[in-house]
Amino acid sequence: MILAALVLILSTAMFFFYFQVTCQKILRRQFDREYFQSIVNANRLEFPSLRKSLEEFGAPVDYPRLRMMLKCDFLALTYLLKNAANLNQRYSNEERLLILYFRWQFLSLAVRRLLKVGEKKAILRLTSVLQYFANVVGQRVNTVRFGNLTVADYLLNL
Amino acid sequence: MDGSIFSYGFQYGGMLIEAALIIYVVQSSHRNRPSSVLLYLCCLLASGVARSYTLHRFGYRSTQYSYVYFATDFPLVISALFLVCLFFRRACLHQEKMWRYVRLWLTFICVMVVGISGLFFSHHYGNVLTDFYVEFSQNVYFTCLVLNTLLYLLLQQIDSADDQLGLLVCGVGIQFAGPAATLALLKLTANEIFAQSLNSLVQRICTLGMLLVWAYAIVHVRGKAIQVTRREIPVLAEVTGHLNI
Repeated sequence: MILAALVLILSTAMFFFYFQVTCQKILRRQFDREYFQSIVNANRLEFPSLRKSLEEFGAPVDYPRLRMMLKCDFLALTYLLKNAANLNQRYSNEERLLILYFRWQFLSLAVRRLLKVGEKKAILRLTSVLQYFANVVGQRVNTVRFGNLTVADYLLNL
Repeated sequence: MDGSIFSYGFQYGGMLIEAALIIYVVQSSHRNRPSSVLLYLCCLLASGVARSYTLHRFGYRSTQYSYVYFATDFPLVISALFLVCLFFRRACLHQEKMWRYVRLWLTFICVMVVGISGLFFSHHYGNVLTDFYVEFSQNVYFTCLVLNTLLYLLLQQIDSADDQLGLLVCGVGIQFAGPAATLALLKLTANEIFAQSLNSLVQRICTLGMLLVWAYAIVHVRGKAIQVTRREIPVLAEVTGHLNI
């Protein structure tokens, strides 16, 4: 009985551990350049400034505003992921997994806030997911804009 | 009703992904084709097809279905253990000394699992299909999970650049952790109906999760499988060379 309880606790913990590691491995994907900057500027997203302030000055003070910023950026980016330059008009598998991961981390942020443990880490993870999404959207938009366009086509369209 | 629809959806969705992945891996002309993954996928697909056929033909409560279920689950569990061992081999591909040590431990652990399960079998001879099966599966799944975690730590230790293997290991971790937990819950609740349905659902969800992670690893990260350790940048050599000039 004790062994079964031990197996149950350890296995559940390991399940969440592997889920987190998988998401972080996907997030580590290298893009050939920083596509997210143009998407951030065009949509006035706030996560880069939030991350910068967090890295430079420590934990943010206004927690409700922080939550709102992250949520708004997440909603904007998930909408763009689905609809901007996406012919299938649906998320890919890794995007679905990362959306789930974002929601999980968002919940974990509330718990960490309550316990006052590792809040900064959770916020940084959330911003890294948002950056990944912005990079994917930026890359797609870039591919569609210049995908099959030769120099002559581009000049003719001007 | 909704539960069974979800369950069937996960099952058939999983089978479709398994078939697609098998075709993709077989067709790919990549030199470092993940044959261990292919082997496990074939086992998964074969057991899935056999179970679905028996379920439709004889029904859930039939003796035939339970025989087919346990007969297909045994090779599946063994192939899972074999898969983890092959992943260890891949991780230690260029480190023969470490592989010799790891191989010894793997053999010892396999003997331990068989020994403990055999001991349990001798005590529950009459209930091979219920008590023994749950005990044996839980033991093997948990052993695979522990071995898989050790493998993950090993990959971190040797700073492996095999990103594909890293993701494959994560997928296996998801696949083993869920069933190990629900099988333990099944044992703790003495085969409650809720635990049984949860076990069935979690197994399918975890298998689907593993397949999606594997699909991502095989399709998107396949090119990096050849390197084993990260290439170190010779900073010191450059500085020395510069000074010589």
